[in-house]
Amino acid sequence: MEANGLEPSLEADRRTLIRRVCLDLTGLPPSPSQVDRFVNDTDPNAYETLVDSLLSSERYGERMTLAWMDAARYGDSSVFHDDGVRYMWPWRDWVIQAYNENKRFDDFTIEQLAGDQLENASLDHKVASGFNRNHGTTDEGGVIAEEYRVEYNVDRVKTTANVWLGLTMECGQCHEHKYDPISQKEYYQFYAYFNVNSDAGMQTRNGNSAPMVKVPSMSQKQELQQRRDKVAAMKEERAKANPTAKEMDEWIADHRVSELPNTPKLDGWHFLGSFTGKNKDAAFKKNWGPEKTVDLAREHDGKKWEPREYEDGKVHTPAIPENSAAYFYRIVTAAKAQEVMVSLGSDDAIKVFLNGKQVFANNASRGPAPDQDKAKLALTEGDNHLLLKIVNAGGPAGFYFRLVGSVLPENILALLREDVLSEEHVVKLQEYYEKSAWPLAKELDAKIKAAEKAVSDYDKGIVTVMTMGDLAKPRKTYVLARGHYASPKKDEEIFPGVPAALPPLPEGSSPKRVGLAKWIADDDHPLTARVAVNRYWSMIFGAGMVTTVMDFGTRGALPSHPRLLDWLARDFADGGWNVKRVFKQMLMSATYRQQSTATAEQLRLDPENVFLSHAPRLRLQGEFIRDNALTVGGVLNGKVGGPSVKPYQPPRIWNEVALNGGLFYKPDNGANLYRRSMYTYWKRSAPMPNMMAFDAPTREKCVVQRPRTNTPMQALVTLNDVQFVEAARLFAERVLQQGGEDFDSQLDYALLLTTARPADELRKRVFRNLYDSQLKVFRADAKRAGELLEFGETKRDESLDSARHAAWTTVASAILNLDEVITRE
Amino acid sequence: MIPLFNSDHLLDRRKFMNLGARGMGALGLASLAQPGLLNAATGRGGGVLGNPNFKPKAKRVIYLFFSGGPSHIDMYDFKPGIRKIHGIELPDSIRKGQRITGMTSGQKSFPCVAPMFEFKQHGQSGAYYSEILPHIASLADEMTLIRSVNTEAINHDPAITYINTGTQQLGHPSMGAWLNYGLGSPSDNLPGYIVMISKGRGGSQALYSRLWGSGFLPSKYQGVKFRSSGEPVLFLNDPPGIDRSSRRAILDSIRAVNEAKFAETGDAEIQARIAQYEMAFRMQSSVPELTDLKSEPEHVFDLYGKDSKKPGKYAYNCILARRMLESGVPFIQLFHRGWDQHGNCPRDVRYQCEDIDQPTAALVKDLKQRGMLEDTLVICGGEFGRTIYSQGTLTKDNHGRDHHGRCFSMWMAGGGIRKGHVHGETDDFCYNIVRDPVHINDLNATALQCLGIDHEQFTYRYQGLDQRLTSVLDPTVITPILA
Repeated sequence: MEANGLEPSLEADRRTLIRRVCLDLTGLPPSPSQVDRFVNDTDPNAYETLVDSLLSSERYGERMTLAWMDAARYGDSSVFHDDGVRYMWPWRDWVIQAYNENKRFDDFTIEQLAGDQLENASLDHKVASGFNRNHGTTDEGGVIAEEYRVEYNVDRVKTTANVWLGLTMECGQCHEHKYDPISQKEYYQFYAYFNVNSDAGMQTRNGNSAPMVKVPSMSQKQELQQRRDKVAAMKEERAKANPTAKEMDEWIADHRVSELPNTPKLDGWHFLGSFTGKNKDAAFKKNWGPEKTVDLAREHDGKKWEPREYEDGKVHTPAIPENSAAYFYRIVTAAKAQEVMVSLGSDDAIKVFLNGKQVFANNASRGPAPDQDKAKLALTEGDNHLLLKIVNAGGPAGFYFRLVGSVLPENILALLREDVLSEEHVVKLQEYYEKSAWPLAKELDAKIKAAEKAVSDYDKGIVTVMTMGDLAKPRKTYVLARGHYASPKKDEEIFPGVPAALPPLPEGSSPKRVGLAKWIADDDHPLTARVAVNRYWSMIFGAGMVTTVMDFGTRGALPSHPRLLDWLARDFADGGWNVKRVFKQMLMSATYRQQSTATAEQLRLDPENVFLSHAPRLRLQGEFIRDNALTVGGVLNGKVGGPSVKPYQPPRIWNEVALNGGLFYKPDNGANLYRRSMYTYWKRSAPMPNMMAFDAPTREKCVVQRPRTNTPMQALVTLNDVQFVEAARLFAERVLQQGGEDFDSQLDYALLLTTARPADELRKRVFRNLYDSQLKVFRADAKRAGELLEFGETKRDESLDSARHAAWTTVASAILNLDEVITRE
Repeated sequence: MIPLFNSDHLLDRRKFMNLGARGMGALGLASLAQPGLLNAATGRGGGVLGNPNFKPKAKRVIYLFFSGGPSHIDMYDFKPGIRKIHGIELPDSIRKGQRITGMTSGQKSFPCVAPMFEFKQHGQSGAYYSEILPHIASLADEMTLIRSVNTEAINHDPAITYINTGTQQLGHPSMGAWLNYGLGSPSDNLPGYIVMISKGRGGSQALYSRLWGSGFLPSKYQGVKFRSSGEPVLFLNDPPGIDRSSRRAILDSIRAVNEAKFAETGDAEIQARIAQYEMAFRMQSSVPELTDLKSEPEHVFDLYGKDSKKPGKYAYNCILARRMLESGVPFIQLFHRGWDQHGNCPRDVRYQCEDIDQPTAALVKDLKQRGMLEDTLVICGGEFGRTIYSQGTLTKDNHGRDHHGRCFSMWMAGGGIRKGHVHGETDDFCYNIVRDPVHINDLNATALQCLGIDHEQFTYRYQGLDQRLTSVLDPTVITPILA
């Protein structure tokens, strides 16, 4: 700096400083009480205390994660073709937690890249590995799956190399890297680590694709455990339950009588028919007369019962017209109550009634054959009335009947029929009874089945997240000629490895992805720490010391402060990859704490402020502009994590581009309209337009540093989008409720909320003028005031004077649009 | 730690300057260093390109993009002998084992289908046009019809991304964004790149914001979508209860504070922001004026046909496009959806052509009448063509066609384009190119040429590479189609 004729600037005042550090570390403005406390804090360590408290806020993890979501190309949709829904938010929540817990960056790296391959990988480790499942996937009907499977791995190589190593490895897909020492073969060595992943080329437009894991929430875990416990308890009860000796003895005694070969007596058949319906189903459904009671003397539709000879165990083909039903009746006499099985056949549909109750039905369409169905008949002692109904859809008809006999298995029947029961026989019969015939067992088993279904139903509702996971049998890797999926050079198999220009893999390094991850996360890797620290620097200073944050190659920019970068990087790795510590180092520096106003001399000598002779002024990223508006409006919903939400969006953004125009955005209601912007559902073919206006990337590809443009579309968003207009109205409401009685004190409060400082004379004059002029307008036209105050879902405080509220809303909107409000100074 | 930055000998000062600093590309930096290069007597509106590489023949572009894959066989690529192949199996000598999509690769039979439409020769070139394009056929002497456009992609998403951004890989700027970056906009109250979308009668393939997105370029270069209902531009309307004078009062207060802030900090971004807020204010009146067709006389609506008064229809968008071109918008892209005729090809291609035929021809004629065609480049086509063989069963009067990228037809007219010309030729099966292939990147390079831009020199440094719209492979400017 000094070599270029520049001098450092003075330290920024405390109001500027607290707002700057809050925005940089949390993306949110300080509250008036935070400002007040800091401004009046005489402790020499006041600033350090502030930095520490912000680093320990949950908001820090969110702010860091938002940046990582760009790098990880995070989205809630699948990108290619239909761009359907997917669920990766549990991965996003893992990242928030990791930053908040200050997970060491080397561990973070290993888990993001290869958590699934750690020894005894926990669910959390597997979730972390979802980093490399965030890329776009396709569901397009005509795709050649291999083309896309390759594409996914190409993306993983690019993202991993760009984000962690600052290497434009992707150039090696088609040819030797033109500028950096990466050969095409080395590219495919790196690629080989990913090429064995088990996900398919063709994925889905509706949810997640394997490999994936279920990620129950804490309450879901509890609920699931409760349901599982219930099943276990029931099973235990079932295991413990024993029939009494008396029950068993009675059953054996009863069945030794009922199951003796005393086959029920079968009388001859009677036929009634036929009855034609509108169609087969109608004929099948309708009771044409005898289904409740059979009275052989009674006529139905002028048709009479007539005796027929049908030999059992043979297929018979009585004539039944199209769409018609006929009945077959016989008396079955049992010496004792018993269950018997009958075997049936029919052309087409069949129903069986016993003593006026339907006991079997099959609305089949088929030709007749023996033994097509089986039905159980619970015969009472004495005469039983058996009625078959056969329905023919068309062509020939037919039926088949055979008495099978007992419903008990052959071996049990044989035991029951033994003349003398040995001890061994009794034990076998008792076992059978307990397992299959005991009524209580049947009841318990049914309950267990239902409880098990309740477990699996609940389990189905638990969100999954996609993870990495290698094939059981690894796929071979070859160099792809010109990077083309269908042109592998099969003369030489390529094995996992890293470019020779970088340090070699350690002895015994795993040939799996975890080996690559550990190599990247090594303390002495020349790129990882530098690239990471440079990225953190760019988050705080607006540009990296190496401005090309994803390219540390020979075509990248040279570092503006190489020794500082090296020192910070070395210290980062040596200091336990402690991310919060690096941030604290940067934030405690005098460079960071300078004021952001620039002198004419500074602007002339160093227009891009490469030498940081003053702090940069940086327009906030879109998410933070929205979060700030919601915060000062007092409606920011502070919930951390969870499924993505759908705040206000103009109509038809989705279906305008969606496949067949069939997909509509349905905004949420209530508190979900006011979540932090990082939780907005991110559909990558049609992303949220108010954020896109502020340079949010589509996240189809990894982005480490966003551009920072300045456009009229941005003005239209913050002036007119219902989200911002409503926030201004709520902000005005808050100011009127809490800002004191007179306009000046209200304005002080409003500017304290947004800029951390009270109003000066100029701002007082300007906004007083605006307020007065608009108050006149809204006094004269109450309808307009009402319209403005009704914009947005949240109801206003009706006790406030509407003209004053509307006039203050215009002031609030103007404040939310000030350069100093959307800028971190 | 292993020293990393000891490779200074690799990079001399000149190279460093070219590396771009603070996120600016090489051109951006060059123009910062020499602001005189900007806008130097070119009439160009603030883009990074200074003097043109060539004398530009066209100052603006209207790109009529028919998404889904219009059937070149049923519209443009006719040869008298084609009736003879109707119903015969596609010979292996023609398919040559080339890949086809997963939708027909399982078909047992590939019966060829001649178009179920009549074709006639038009204009001095004697080019054939389908009976379903009578109005476009009347432009035969205005345009160059290219029958040999080709792409490697065989499915919608990669193909439409490829032709619009120059690569199948995601993350690259669209053609319009490139030109917005390079040329800027001479209009001070309208965006430099506008997109409008319309839809045919049937289902349609998806579009993606990346097709008009800015990719790795700053987002201010992305296309601004004009919409047919509600606000013509998102967030354009003042909220309820705020009228123009209230809006003005709010903006004046913002401006007063921002000016004070600029005086205090010297931050040029504040000045830019003041200007952007003013442009937003102007757009709030200029856009509704532009999109209000009340001032158009009845004969204009007659010219553009039956749909010309229906907002959201292609015909309506064509009139809007002409008005935008007149207002100085340099790049306009109309997307008309619904060209994916896997089935019911004869009926649905006819429907699609009914939507676009008259309005497209009307737009060209309207521009000509107004003396604007000579410096407006018109580009018309889709992401690929369709197969000669039937997808599904071929019946007496029905069939489908699958995607076909090996050859398809597009046409260009206006500034810089040869009139009454047919370029390229396909084989008897409209399957392979036999003469003068035009890759989609050749087509884009040629379009840039018409605008006075050497596509090889129009680059942006990103991820170590001097990226181009036309890819780093070497496309050719197709000089025979230039006037």
